[in-house]
Amino acid sequence: MPNWLVLATEALPAAALPAAALPPLPVALPLLVCALLLIGSRALPIWLPDLVAVLTALAVAALCATIAGRASAEGPLVTWFGGWTPRDGAALGIGFSADAASAGIATFAALLFTATLVFAWNFFDRTHGHFQILMLLFLAAMVGFCFTRDLFNLFVWFEVMSVTAFALTAYRLDDAAIAGAMTFTVTNSLAGILMLAGIGLLYARAGALDFADLAAAVARAGHDPVTAAAFCLVAAGLMIKAAVVPFQFWLADAHAVASSPVSVIFSGAMVAMGLFGLAKLVWVVFGGSAQIRDAVGVFMIAGGAVTALFGGWMALIQRHLKRLLAFSTISHAGIMLVGIGALSQGATAGLLLYVVGHGLVKGALFMVAGILLALRSSVDEIALRGRGRGLAGAGAALGLAGLLLGGLPVGLLDLGARALHGALEAGGHRLALAASLLGTAMTGAAVLRAGARIFLGWGGRPGNEGRAPTLEEQERGNRAYWVMFVPCGALLVLDLAAPTGALVAAAPGWTRSFTGRAALPGDAGALALGAAWMPAASVGLALFLAAFALFGDRVAPAAAAHIRRLHAGPAALLNASHSGLVGDDVVWIVLGLAVLALALAVV
Amino acid sequence: MSLLPYATAAWLLGIGLYGIVTSRNYIHLIGCLAVCQSATYVLLLGIGYRRDAIAPIFYDHPPGTPAVDPVMQALVLTDIVVGATLTALLLVLALQVFKRRGTLDPQKLKPMHPPSNAGTRDAGPREAGFAGEARPEPQP
Repeated sequence: MPNWLVLATEALPAAALPAAALPPLPVALPLLVCALLLIGSRALPIWLPDLVAVLTALAVAALCATIAGRASAEGPLVTWFGGWTPRDGAALGIGFSADAASAGIATFAALLFTATLVFAWNFFDRTHGHFQILMLLFLAAMVGFCFTRDLFNLFVWFEVMSVTAFALTAYRLDDAAIAGAMTFTVTNSLAGILMLAGIGLLYARAGALDFADLAAAVARAGHDPVTAAAFCLVAAGLMIKAAVVPFQFWLADAHAVASSPVSVIFSGAMVAMGLFGLAKLVWVVFGGSAQIRDAVGVFMIAGGAVTALFGGWMALIQRHLKRLLAFSTISHAGIMLVGIGALSQGATAGLLLYVVGHGLVKGALFMVAGILLALRSSVDEIALRGRGRGLAGAGAALGLAGLLLGGLPVGLLDLGARALHGALEAGGHRLALAASLLGTAMTGAAVLRAGARIFLGWGGRPGNEGRAPTLEEQERGNRAYWVMFVPCGALLVLDLAAPTGALVAAAPGWTRSFTGRAALPGDAGALALGAAWMPAASVGLALFLAAFALFGDRVAPAAAAHIRRLHAGPAALLNASHSGLVGDDVVWIVLGLAVLALALAVV
Repeated sequence: MSLLPYATAAWLLGIGLYGIVTSRNYIHLIGCLAVCQSATYVLLLGIGYRRDAIAPIFYDHPPGTPAVDPVMQALVLTDIVVGATLTALLLVLALQVFKRRGTLDPQKLKPMHPPSNAGTRDAGPREAGFAGEARPEPQP
């Protein structure tokens, strides 16, 4: 933990509280504010819910940062609700256990919410504060999800997160938003159902729900079909949330049709929460079973690599900016899944850093999309060509974020990526490493191409992305440009200004306490970062791909036309496969479940 | 321990999923989702069940009477609440979508593929189909 952060958090009044009193606070505070806002919703002036929500999110961030500081000094802060402490080795009560890494992720989520609530200032005409209430409920659920040490409690926060997300997607109440929300609701409810069935099976084997008791029971059970089936169901539930191929079909529609502040949270934090929960369960609950470890090593490395490539490719053939960003999120979720599958210390540290870095950059990108929606009434890259002139700040932010996404070697996202690269190289996962570099380059290229087209007016003749589905929409335009731009810039500044040296030093300790293991595979004491040429290569490739998409017609017309013809068929097929039809999505979910079950049965 | 509750749960999940995949009406689809949900009720109750035991309420039974697992009963109760929330939310969405589009057929309600006769409705922003080329909605 960096020194300035320790000093800052020790100055807060919460630092004086006993350790057990702290973890429930950042969950209880937003819930309490939600209730109060709801009571006063009809009487309050229109600006008050905005202000209260921003301050509450900021307070949650401060509380979580305090917890992170205390936990990195004293070890995880544990609370047992109602005084139901474990007796004779059996935990009947429900507990929170906040280790430094979980509290760090919760701090990041609260900061992202703060920025988003500022961005969404005055976003809705008359909402009686319902939008802010849903957002705070969403935040409370995420913090609870990070801190809990009880599997059923994890499920409850997961469901609270899901239900608020469903309501927020449909909040705008227009045709596309409702249709997207229904697909999102059905697929993610199935995720909850699968997860609960898995929890039931695990309880049948272990007779407990506390993580520590479950871990002991899983280790005792050894090679056991019931535990394997439980893992299969729980992991599928979380991977639906994390949008891993082939569970990803709902995401592009939901992210594209939701209001831009909601999309910021979805892409920046919600998808990452699925991966964070998966990483936690893989290490803390299922880590004792060799069968599950082996299957994770195979399925998640392979699934992550495929997801990284697939998401990148899909992003390249989109024209609707929010949909493009949604596919880039899928690609990055794949890279993070590889970080889970590598099952080593460096990969876990890389995953945690990557979650934060990616969330900051992707949040800023969705805010740029929101600025375009508000001030230019569209996010269609081709319809907007050249119309971004006059929004220099937003253009610069999009360009910078695109480069960061493509692997520009500065900042937090790059640190996470390099830690992942180092761990993948050490673990011998060459193919997954190549896939993650390629996925990074493709998503960066897609964003840079869209940015150059919108803000510079380059690339007159669209390629295959011209035939992608799109949607005309707009958001309330009478908001101040700077109110929308400042949070966007702040997120990028946070990514760039992160104290990388201090984080590299602190990461091994945080990962040990996150995984609950004194010694992890690949634990060399310090974090091994990947070679410097890798991010440079991916950002170079991103620039090349973007330039080829924009100027290929002029520089090498014959080659460009040939590639376009070759690519047209697969591109059309891929876009058509995302039919947005809920039945299709469910078929893919069942297929993914079958593949995961097969991996568990065979390995 | 009987296999019947587990087989029933698997069967309920299976037919629920089949219903969701083939449904042509959102109200029917929401019902199918509820069928999937009831698979978890059966599974959880089956896991917590003990033969010749009472419900875990000791109001008119002496403490120590064999009872079924109260943890599973609590999980099922929570699950029912979740299920009710989801069903209510989905039904509201179905109602709203029917008001705007006049249909509940999932095949006609694709989010990014709006119908070509957009603009004839009273509310909501304008929407276009595939820009660049007019693509007719596939007929079932």
